[in-house]
Amino acid sequence: MKLSRLIIAATMLVAATLANAKDFTFTAIPDQDSSQLQLRFGKVAKYLETQLGVKVNYVPVKSYAAAVTAFRNDEVQLAWFGGLSGVQARLLVPGSEAIAQGYEDQFFKTYFIAHTSAGVKPGESFPEGIEGLTLTFGSKGSTSGRLMPEFYIREHFKRAPEEVFSRVGFSTDHSRTIALVNTGAYQIGVVNYKVWETELAEGKVDPEKVQVIWETPVYPDYQWSIRGDVDGNWGAGFSAKVKAALLGMNDPDLLASFPRQSFVEAKNSDYQPILDTAKSIGLID
Amino acid sequence: MMSIRGVSVSFVILAMVCIAFADIEVIAADPWSEFGRIGLGFITPSFFSWSELLTSLANTIAFALVGVAVAAGLGLLLAPFFHWRVVRLFCSFIRSVHELFWALLFLQVFGLHTVTGLLAIIIPFTGIFTKVYAEILEEVDQRPLNALPIKALNTGSAYIYARLAVAWPQLVIYTRYRLECGIRSSSVLGFVGLPTLGFHLETYFKQGDYSQAAGVLYLFFLIIASLRLWTHRRGLLILLLASLIWLPFELSTNPEIILRFLTHDILPQPMRDAASLLDVSVWADMFNWCVKLVQTQVGIGVWNTLLLTMISLVGSGIVTLLLYPLVSPLFFRKRWRLPGHLFLVVLRSIPELMLAFVVVVMVGPSMLPAIIALSLHNGAIIAHLIGHSTITLKLPLGAARGLNRYAYEVTPRIYRPFLAFLFYRWEVILRESAILGILGIHTLGFYVDSAFEELRFDRALFLILITALLNILVDIVSRRIRKQLRLTALPEIR
Amino acid sequence: MQPPVLFQLDRQTIGWHGGTVLDDLSLSIRRGEKVAIVGKSGSGKTTLLRALYRQSPQSIAFCEQAPGLVPTLSAFHNIYMGQLDQHPVAYNLLNLFYPLKKEIAKVAPLASVLGLSDKLSTAAERLSGGQQQRVALGRTIFQNKSVFIGDEPVSAVDEVQAEDLLAYVVNTHETVVLALHHIEQALKYCHRIIGIKDGKVALDAATEGLTPDTLRQLYEGESQPSQLKDNYVTNAGFKALC
Repeated sequence: MKLSRLIIAATMLVAATLANAKDFTFTAIPDQDSSQLQLRFGKVAKYLETQLGVKVNYVPVKSYAAAVTAFRNDEVQLAWFGGLSGVQARLLVPGSEAIAQGYEDQFFKTYFIAHTSAGVKPGESFPEGIEGLTLTFGSKGSTSGRLMPEFYIREHFKRAPEEVFSRVGFSTDHSRTIALVNTGAYQIGVVNYKVWETELAEGKVDPEKVQVIWETPVYPDYQWSIRGDVDGNWGAGFSAKVKAALLGMNDPDLLASFPRQSFVEAKNSDYQPILDTAKSIGLID
Repeated sequence: MMSIRGVSVSFVILAMVCIAFADIEVIAADPWSEFGRIGLGFITPSFFSWSELLTSLANTIAFALVGVAVAAGLGLLLAPFFHWRVVRLFCSFIRSVHELFWALLFLQVFGLHTVTGLLAIIIPFTGIFTKVYAEILEEVDQRPLNALPIKALNTGSAYIYARLAVAWPQLVIYTRYRLECGIRSSSVLGFVGLPTLGFHLETYFKQGDYSQAAGVLYLFFLIIASLRLWTHRRGLLILLLASLIWLPFELSTNPEIILRFLTHDILPQPMRDAASLLDVSVWADMFNWCVKLVQTQVGIGVWNTLLLTMISLVGSGIVTLLLYPLVSPLFFRKRWRLPGHLFLVVLRSIPELMLAFVVVVMVGPSMLPAIIALSLHNGAIIAHLIGHSTITLKLPLGAARGLNRYAYEVTPRIYRPFLAFLFYRWEVILRESAILGILGIHTLGFYVDSAFEELRFDRALFLILITALLNILVDIVSRRIRKQLRLTALPEIR
Repeated sequence: MQPPVLFQLDRQTIGWHGGTVLDDLSLSIRRGEKVAIVGKSGSGKTTLLRALYRQSPQSIAFCEQAPGLVPTLSAFHNIYMGQLDQHPVAYNLLNLFYPLKKEIAKVAPLASVLGLSDKLSTAAERLSGGQQQRVALGRTIFQNKSVFIGDEPVSAVDEVQAEDLLAYVVNTHETVVLALHHIEQALKYCHRIIGIKDGKVALDAATEGLTPDTLRQLYEGESQPSQLKDNYVTNAGFKALC
């Protein structure tokens, strides 16, 4: 008897870890520190549950694209996207809306970081002397780790990154980018400035070995996007309720998991510059 | 006329030429701190959360068992028709696409659902089972069949009694070996998000949480090393049943999503918005679309994939020849073989992607990590099988010992099966080398991964088809060489 | 009136694998005859038997020299295989997993003649060479055909039992053609002896009046009838891998 009960309990556990269509479900792009995602967003799910009065699940995904696909296929109705993934997702789901962004996301930026052995001096303008070095982006679908830095590289050199650098890699996430430059595997890295500052504060970066050599101009980035059909499925005004819950999130512990100081309103048109940039470098047709 | 020596020498020369073209620069700026952390992690494994760990362990085994069982059943059904060209081509195609690519495709349709994981295993494994089962059944002792009453000759009964029953022990050995591969594949599916061990492994590795990563890996080693203990008939049946209960099956897939995927997402972009397919300009656009892909991605992708494959094939051969004595009773007593066994279990259980991650830290991001990872992984698998097969060798009394025995008595005797194993493994190495593109080497897999990340499924499918074509080509060449050299392998490796 | 001719070879020349050849060979065998083919090994006996078999495989039960059993199946199943064509696949499949009482009852009397009653449930690979050959013989007899062709069907069976089995074969089949290296057995159980030498018929006569010495002339150049080596089912190489 005990065994069968164990099996049933376990089955339910797995069922819960996989998407469950009936509950309101959200996901987040795995942009950093993915081992803590469950912990970080589990708390957010609880908060939303109390605010919305419905069951809320968080589903972890392995890539930016997987987050977009889950949103598109209605496996999740709400998602914490990057600038680019949000634009991609909303293009695929007509009626979906960007409803909130971090306060910092209104003026987000990318840090170009370099291993000290590369001998690149930090400066106010696009770094000189990085041509011919090795560079790693973050994820292929990242805004701060791919889209914006690639845009500035193309703007400066009028060439594709593969032609500028002797080697171009994709580390898959920001923490990994920092680690790879830290070991010297790559000489230059481009990274989400928030992740850099967090890891610097936690002592995960050796300032003797890696330093910021340039910060890009600001651009809009991360945002919460919601599907347009949630009002139909969870009742009129549900979308507005979600938005209010997100904007009203002021527990520092919750906010630290993003990490943002607060959430502010956002709308689709805020991300027009991202869409234009993505089109200009050929990431979106 | 090909000779064993000629083929061996040509492949080694070919690999050396490939190395000359390949990017194998060592960029070891400062690997030691990271390396020290990896070492520390492996000495101090930590098991982050038993409930999560055991859940993903159960998922790993359940996906593998159900997937392999269904694929074996389908393989058995298809094997009698393997001589039909259409079946042969079909199997060749479905096994030429790597599990991870299948999973990425099904993720678009079924999401993170049990069906995605199962199909990703069932489809390629069915192709492999059908081929190998058919070959085993083909090579079976014909005498029982000839002894049948003539009217029974071409009946299902004859097939069951005089072919299946004769081949049964070999079929079972092969299927059991495949189960190990299935467990590896199932855990690797975690890399794209399915809830298996690979899910946590990838996360921790990427994160640099090497203690936790080591914990997951140790658990995985334990499963692979203890496989023989729980894969007897009754154990398997119980586990299979438990797996079916364990895996959640309720499917909430929207048929619209499937339809959209088939009729829109994977259609080449120029065809999607076309009003009519009869329009000449659509086909002109299609042509340009293909040409552009071939120029910018396919050409480089195929070139790098082939370079990596050729070098790693020879690399695997060298690793095999170096390592097989470790597990051979002709060289070491039982007690001394144990560490060798464990070493090979470790090498062949660590997914190539992980292995390559570690090597990237050591030698920097060139093709070298992928070459090393592929050679070690595949070499360890073949060494394991070759080493075991030396049990059947009977050396003359007073045969030489040590290095002389290795060079004069044993290696020449196992060289033919060794080559057969290696050539069987060729297409596997090719599939894996495509996957290693995810690390950033511009193989076909790199561009497939990019296409998925950019949500351009039309490109992804086109590139996957190119990869499949390349695979089929290598399969044909490999078969031709094996036939010419009359190489037949033991059933485990194919 | 003489019984009809069953086998007719008319100036046949047969070669296979570039080896033994029957050269310009003519003979006929009528229904009801019990014929022994003798000759030294390599003289073309097997080739001749196969040539005969090809003439009407539907009505002939053919027992090959090597047992050719399915190693993993029981003796019962191997014998049962002689009647695979009598039942639909589903029935055969069922009988494979659950040996049916009815079929066991059918095989049992034959098994007792073969001296295999206590071995019926033993896997063929675990039987001795002689036992395996008896199972193979049983499988052939179980076909219940009127014509039996046997290529050294009892070569690995001990002499006393071999004679019993030959007697049984001869009594239960209307027409019998046997290749035998044991001259005394040939003379005892057959009515007609065909001696083959270098691919030609060197002797074709009724048994009466023939003596072992006459037959031994066929073996000129060979000190004694050769002992045939059979390929028994072995699984040893394989087992080692498990």
